[in-house]
Amino acid sequence: MIRFWNKRLKTGILTEAPDIDEELAALRKSLKDEVKKKFAGSLAIRMVDSGSCNACEAECNALSNPYYDLERLGIYFVASPRHADVMLLSGLMTFNMTPHVLDAYAQIPEPKWVVTLGDCPAMQAPFEKTFAVNAPATEHLPVAHHIPGCPPAPDAIIRGLLAFLKKI
Amino acid sequence: MRLIARYAVELEEAYEVVTVWDEQTDRVRVPKSDPHIETLSRTHPAAIWFERKMHDDFGIIIDNAFDNRPLVHQERFPRGLHPMQKHFTQTAIEPAEYLPYKYEAIGGDGVFEVAVGPIHAGIIEPGHFQFSQAGEDMLHQEVRHFYKYRAVEKMLEGKTLQEAKAIIERISGNESVAYQTAWRDIVLQAAKSELPEANRKYHALLLELERIIHHLTDLGFIPNDAGFGAALAFCSKLSEEARRQMQCLTGHRFGFGAISFDEVQIDTEALRVYLDDLEKEMMFFEEWITDIPSLWDRFDTTGILAHHKALKYDTVGVVARASGVAQDRRDNDFYRTHGFVLHTEKSGDVAARFKQRLAEVKNAIVMMRALLTETTESVVLNEVHGGDYTAYAESSLGELFMNIIVKDGIIERFFVRDPSFMNWQALHLMMPGNIIADFPLINKSCDLSYAGNDL
Ligand code: SF4
Repeated sequence: MIRFWNKRLKTGILTEAPDIDEELAALRKSLKDEVKKKFAGSLAIRMVDSGSCNACEAECNALSNPYYDLERLGIYFVASPRHADVMLLSGLMTFNMTPHVLDAYAQIPEPKWVVTLGDCPAMQAPFEKTFAVNAPATEHLPVAHHIPGCPPAPDAIIRGLLAFLKKI
Repeated sequence: MRLIARYAVELEEAYEVVTVWDEQTDRVRVPKSDPHIETLSRTHPAAIWFERKMHDDFGIIIDNAFDNRPLVHQERFPRGLHPMQKHFTQTAIEPAEYLPYKYEAIGGDGVFEVAVGPIHAGIIEPGHFQFSQAGEDMLHQEVRHFYKYRAVEKMLEGKTLQEAKAIIERISGNESVAYQTAWRDIVLQAAKSELPEANRKYHALLLELERIIHHLTDLGFIPNDAGFGAALAFCSKLSEEARRQMQCLTGHRFGFGAISFDEVQIDTEALRVYLDDLEKEMMFFEEWITDIPSLWDRFDTTGILAHHKALKYDTVGVVARASGVAQDRRDNDFYRTHGFVLHTEKSGDVAARFKQRLAEVKNAIVMMRALLTETTESVVLNEVHGGDYTAYAESSLGELFMNIIVKDGIIERFFVRDPSFMNWQALHLMMPGNIIADFPLINKSCDLSYAGNDL
């Protein structure tokens, strides 16, 4: 355990490590302010994968690593749509997932927003339309904002969430 | 013999059922007018999903199968449609009337079922798990997938190998380099071209970096699922740094587009420094994590996949090796010269799969040093010849099998078997004797791909 505490003290707080550029720090600050203003300090996101390649999920998971630490800004990924303000939707809206996505959306209490994540739900990834693909998501859900990228990197997701918060 | 894959190809008058074993490939033709084939599932349980999929895809009837339920086609899928048949060209279908799926269930006094999914409580891919429970104890689990089914096989038909690349590398994002490597080998065969040694080394280096990223993520998430969050903080820092290395090398955090036939310059010095740092961090991590008894109390004897079952179910990759199966597509001269050592564990439990990943990260660091190369050469490919081409890669999850039939310069049939397709079918074997609260831990210790499985 002593070894661990030594390591911990030596490593320090990475989130503020100098290799994170100032722009990102400023971005985080404004994100925090927007969340505070519009969502009383805490924005709850329910992530739903409707048929992704899993890289978009990996980048959302990366948001919790010490470099980005999204929760500091009052943004949480929640386990139930009933606890969510926003549905963050990745993937191609497959034929098999569509009813479940719509179900999850119905479970989110009003007011609610859909933000699409990555090129897939906008049908802008290299995938093509097949009988098993129902994307673009805009044909099935009221999409409030889109975060492009294949996949959007964690800082792009933070930026995208900020743009969404500014918009509403 | 080990079953690797089983799938069908449509010909003029018949379907050819191809069964790929480690030692041979069998081909049986069944007439389209009355397509029947005998099941393999009685000796090779992993044949079940292949055969159920073959029925969904082409309408081939599997004789003497004990499981005839649809696999890919779910409750609302139009009945009687077999979309891999060439004459099916629709790009949209209307949902049919809801027909309930009959889950496997163990009856009995007080036995109840727990349904989990397809949407899970976290940032995870969708899939469904159905448990038969006696109180806390799991009696049985059924894995039900294919929610993410995008029909990638159909999507790729009619494209050139080059056009298919951008889709192939996005079939399973965290195995992208492995998929690209298999694609590369097929292109080389079709174009009868050779790959310079330096390029082979660089591509292998990227594949090891992908493995490191993936294993590091799991080395954090597995302890986290046992309530030890500090490991997640530590390893997710390391996996982020590894991903940034991937970005530095390839211009993409997941290496999309990384495997090409172009010339690439590599900053070997920076990479060497990175590898030295990572090695030190891993040494620290191993000493630290090995020293936490309450964690190993959760890992040891949890979710055991016995050696004989790992063999019987034709499992691959980390899951197989953690159960003592010495099987790895890198077990060849090229990799051995560059430091590859085939590591296996014995106990087949969560602890074994955790230690397996740890060992593979350490070995990957050694290999990456040996694979460092300053520059690759640009390769001019010859013209693509028609034919039936197969390639393998060892992704971070295990053996990947890919087959492409090229006709007149375009893809006639694309088939890929993700390592997860084998291992998902063995997951339920790890459940009996464990409590349901350990399911997330067991599942994470295998960390299988849903996207690669569902296609
Ligand atoms: S947008 Fe790109 S990275 Fe995200 S799921 Fe789709 S293919 Fe994968």
